[in-house]
Amino acid sequence: MRRNSPPAFACWLLASVVPAPYREAMLGDLIEEYTLRAESASPVAASRWFWSQACRSVPSMVWSSLRSRDWLISMSIAMGVYIIMGTLKFAADLTISKFATPQQTTYVILAPIVFLATTSIGGCVAARIRRGATIFLALIVMITVAVLIAAKVCTIPVPWWYQFGFLTLGPLSVLLTPAVFGVLKPTC
Amino acid sequence: MTFSAYLFYIAKQMKRGELLGSLEHIILLALARLDGSAHGMIVRREIEERTGRDISIGAVYATLERLEAKGYISSFTGEPTPERGGRAKRLFRFEAAGKQALQVSEQTIRNMTAGLKSRWERI
Repeated sequence: MRRNSPPAFACWLLASVVPAPYREAMLGDLIEEYTLRAESASPVAASRWFWSQACRSVPSMVWSSLRSRDWLISMSIAMGVYIIMGTLKFAADLTISKFATPQQTTYVILAPIVFLATTSIGGCVAARIRRGATIFLALIVMITVAVLIAAKVCTIPVPWWYQFGFLTLGPLSVLLTPAVFGVLKPTC
Repeated sequence: MTFSAYLFYIAKQMKRGELLGSLEHIILLALARLDGSAHGMIVRREIEERTGRDISIGAVYATLERLEAKGYISSFTGEPTPERGGRAKRLFRFEAAGKQALQVSEQTIRNMTAGLKSRWERI
């Protein structure tokens, strides 16, 4: 975090949920007020205020986005990226199956690596097209993994944390990889 | 506003389910106080100073967006400034329909509270 710059993650969070017509104006308002508070009080107090505003604004903005049908565009993009991700994963699984059967240890190790690589690529692509689409993509990935776990698709005996890892790390990699690799433009 | 115009307006708005909500009412009043034109953070600050309610900027913008969709206010983009990280302000302007909605809302409250004072004293 630069000196007197608002918390980057809070900015990213807001930029992801605020509908496009008001995104720039609202972030600009918050940054202006943050700067004033950081100068008059302290950067720590200003950051605390910024976080409070960001967290309390999310429900209103999500609701506003739902009402304006803005989410439909993000959802469509997420679905499109999800189909591309599925195709990539299928191709990778086919390649792996040529030299390792599903019962082998190699497969158990390679499966999460391929999964996380695919979700990371998907997250970056979705973020590049539309920031808000990553949240929907993360949700779709989480629901898919949960359904696959519930349906007991995995026939190999694996510990619970192995499956839990897919359920949590998959959506997280969708959300965080774009930020880590700088795919997202700086929001603040 | 004449009584018949008031009744006609109420009937029209009730049919559309668009009577002012409490936050909409407060935000329209704040815009009216700010000479009819202001950006989101100024509106938020005005409400906080006058009512002590610490509302989120998200709630302010969501309500402003709703009011704009109803035609009570309009908005235009200002010039970007460095202190806003190069972002432009969105200024909201009070419209005639907004003034009318406020008058109706005030009238409704007056009608509903008329004669209540003596009852409150008895409670």
